[in-house]
Amino acid sequence: MEDEQVMLDVRSGELGKLGLLFDRHHRALFRYFLHLTSNRAVSEDLVQEVFFRILKYRHTYQPGTRFCAWLFQVGRNVHMDHAVRHKPEVAMPERGWDVRSPDLPPDRQAQSRQEAALLRRALAAMPPEKREVIVMSRFLDLKYDEIASVLKCETGAVKVRVYRALRELNDRFFALCGERAS
Amino acid sequence: MICERVREQIPECLAGSLDHAARERLVAHLETCPACRAELAELNAVWRGLGSLPDPEPDPAMRSRFLEVLEAYQAGRASGVVGQVPDPPHKWRHAALAFALLMAGVFLGRYVVQPRAANPDIAQLQGQVESLRQLVTLSLLQEQSPSSRLRGVTYSYQMAQPDEQVEQALLYAVNHDSNVNVRLSAVDALEKYAANPRIRRALADALPVQDSPLVQIALMDLLVQLNDKEAAPALRKLAQDAQADSQIRQHAAWALQRMEVSQ
Repeated sequence: MEDEQVMLDVRSGELGKLGLLFDRHHRALFRYFLHLTSNRAVSEDLVQEVFFRILKYRHTYQPGTRFCAWLFQVGRNVHMDHAVRHKPEVAMPERGWDVRSPDLPPDRQAQSRQEAALLRRALAAMPPEKREVIVMSRFLDLKYDEIASVLKCETGAVKVRVYRALRELNDRFFALCGERAS
Repeated sequence: MICERVREQIPECLAGSLDHAARERLVAHLETCPACRAELAELNAVWRGLGSLPDPEPDPAMRSRFLEVLEAYQAGRASGVVGQVPDPPHKWRHAALAFALLMAGVFLGRYVVQPRAANPDIAQLQGQVESLRQLVTLSLLQEQSPSSRLRGVTYSYQMAQPDEQVEQALLYAVNHDSNVNVRLSAVDALEKYAANPRIRRALADALPVQDSPLVQIALMDLLVQLNDKEAAPALRKLAQDAQADSQIRQHAAWALQRMEVSQ
């Protein structure tokens, strides 16, 4: 059953079906929050908060709306509320983020890990709004029109934002590589 | 200018979502433009690097915690049905209280099935059950975990009579709980106590101190539902507060209008 139909059922009172939507989307939402907050526990709490808000404000879901876009709109609001109450965190956690590349020789594995660490640092240091479009386009596989719907802007604007964010990430990454090399 | 437009398409090209015609145009341009080829190569390296970062998995217990909240919410909607609120896991104290509550219920059930006219024991047992409910509610509301405090709020629905300590605990949750969900649920739970003018006043007083727009909206909706005219000054102040969120100001104005219409 499509997400949209499941959500309409939840809206009309079949609350148990929200578990199905939780199963389908909580990982992507968790990943989104993890990239924005750099904190596992906070990200898990924010995911819970999103689904609780969906439960409580289910009547605001409009038929015809893409569920995924609506979900991330709610997620965005939840994160904004969180950000107002807490200082932004940029330090990425060290555990659980290592690149796994067992096929590479040990020296290449070490280099790969180092590059991944620098890339994470570069991403974490990006301004939140730029980090957000990279996360949405690269990690969540959202289409540009879906991102536009979440960010409430034109699809063309998303195209420009993603390019500029990726460009900036690239510059930050190579700057960090240069620092490391020198 | 052409290069700029072409470069804006690079992320879509890397994601494989560029349509065929646009991709052909991009390739044709790259064949003649070394600068854009270099740009593509650089961005490709970062794009692939991002793809090689593993996706951390959330704690598997998250699902059970969510289902617990969902159950508690559903139980709250069907308020008054004993036994639908999930027992707090790993909490022997609450388990003991729940057991005591069950036993009291069993005794009460026996008296109800075999009524004995004017038996003072019935009143005593009813009082005991009510006290236990109060104890469970207050105890859960003091828990560290937001899910437990949510259950505490839900449990308060089962109390037949308004209780001052529970009222105070719910008001405290509205004003001070660190979790927005607990605050929202506490606002809903206080609806039951809203016959008390002191509670209505406290709800209006909570409006300006809230930092969550959602809780402010929930409070305003409840005050409109209660048609509490005494809340009008607080709503007016909020509607005119230039520092408040524009959505909140609009909602406050709407709430005032609703109250005036119903006069």
